[in-house]
Amino acid sequence: MTKREVIRTVLAGQTPPYVPWSCGFTQEARTKLEDHFKPLDIEEALQNHILKLGSDIGFFTDLGNNQVQDVFGVVWDRSIDKDIGNVSGCVLPEPTLMRYSFPDPLDRRFFVEIPNRIARFEDRFRVFQIGFSLYERAWTLRGMQNLLMDFYDHPDFVHTLLDLIADYNIAQIQEAIKYEIDAVYFGDDWGQQRGLQMGPRLWHQFIYPVLRRMYSVVHAAGKYVFIHSCGDVDEVFEDLIGIGLNCFNPFQPEVMDVESLMEHYRGRLTFHGGLSTQRTLPFGTVEDVRTETKRLLKMGAQGSYIFAPAHDVEGDVPLENFLAFIELVQNQPGYREH
Amino acid sequence: MSLLDDIRKSVIDGDLNATQDQVHKALTENIPPGKILADGLISAMSEVGRLFENGEFYVPEMLISARAMKGGLAILRPQLAAANIKAIGKVVIGTAQGDLHDIGKNLVGMMLEGAGFEVIDLGVDVSPEKYVAAVKEYHPDLVGCSALLTTTMIRMKDILLSLQVASLREKVMVMIGGAPVTEQYAKDIGADMYAPDAASAAQRARQLMQG
Repeated sequence: MTKREVIRTVLAGQTPPYVPWSCGFTQEARTKLEDHFKPLDIEEALQNHILKLGSDIGFFTDLGNNQVQDVFGVVWDRSIDKDIGNVSGCVLPEPTLMRYSFPDPLDRRFFVEIPNRIARFEDRFRVFQIGFSLYERAWTLRGMQNLLMDFYDHPDFVHTLLDLIADYNIAQIQEAIKYEIDAVYFGDDWGQQRGLQMGPRLWHQFIYPVLRRMYSVVHAAGKYVFIHSCGDVDEVFEDLIGIGLNCFNPFQPEVMDVESLMEHYRGRLTFHGGLSTQRTLPFGTVEDVRTETKRLLKMGAQGSYIFAPAHDVEGDVPLENFLAFIELVQNQPGYREH
Repeated sequence: MSLLDDIRKSVIDGDLNATQDQVHKALTENIPPGKILADGLISAMSEVGRLFENGEFYVPEMLISARAMKGGLAILRPQLAAANIKAIGKVVIGTAQGDLHDIGKNLVGMMLEGAGFEVIDLGVDVSPEKYVAAVKEYHPDLVGCSALLTTTMIRMKDILLSLQVASLREKVMVMIGGAPVTEQYAKDIGADMYAPDAASAAQRARQLMQG
């Protein structure tokens, strides 16, 4: 069975030969691992099962002084957060799109590497990534506090903005499905440590109908739908499954009961993530990491689970903690015998 | 319904214009400014906090209510000063050094103002030295720090150390919060208070002030 087939088995809710994995790292953490594994390429060393295509955070123009600008015109300050950065200024200071034009969704940079990447890692499960796929794109343009108040003050503007973001994404999806991809991996954080930022009522009113439209395009092309959405969002799982979600990430153990959710949704929804990045990885011992990893691998043995730390691992995690979970997943009997 | 009840309702509904109109009206009807503050604005924000804790209100509702409260407070402030009515306490807030995520900290600031505190917001990426300088300058009762990341949360300990070194630790109480922060972590580093969200931060800060 190829890695691609193992992921398909898991998504079908069937028992895989071993628990597949796909782990992400921030730049700082990645450097630590690269130093450890060199001269071996990190992609080879990790043996991830998911091949990420396109770009989750998009492309940037360097403005100097640690400032970069994305294709939507949003300026990001990377003086501290080197991976994504923090939004600086406000592209839409007023609740209007009168003086704003969306970028070209078919910008070649999103697609040009796809054939080469697939050729290099042809046994892996291919996902086309669309980061900041709705709410996040809206707030990076408008400012988070502005957008949250716009839900009440300017609902028509919010509906229009979200619809245009979805149109942009759908144009990208329609281009991406011309390649042999398996899934579209959306990214859009709605949660906080407790509950949804905007609450379930506004989520249903503004976010849900637009998700339904985007997911239906993916399914019509026979592809799977994945979403990464940080925080405590499990109250909307049923709604998401209802509109065709196949896989949810990051599955944070600090904000949700991963084991009972796994039991409840097994066969209907696959989870990707689960290993604590807020506690165990940065602050736990190697033994803590091993214990939690073993528990997750046992939990996922029957399918509907892809192992990963519950977020791209930060640079504060000790190297031995990285190696502890990497060693355990790669030493699963079903994988080694494979 | 009394005018104070109207003010309360307007703040809870997040209606800025109605809140300001009603505060004006209450002043022209000679309702004491301290009473408008306590029984109108603060009482409303306390209800907003309760609704948030109960999962009936979320961040958008809290933001529009806080905006209405601030609008009302802006009209009331000169009258409060004239009547020599002081805030129940002074708080200096910021995010931990290296952390630029500020929505949680902003919400805490709004809820603290809504609970009757004077809030001095030092913004984001606040070094321990900046906290120490702010404590020397503003003489707050409380210092608040929030962090979203595990990598920046650990800087909170440095704030406590720096306050200690500057012999200011006994003069202020320190409250912390943010996604990765826990009650246990607050205890471990010797902070006086932890709050899991903005509403409880305001409520617990009030309790701290009352001893």
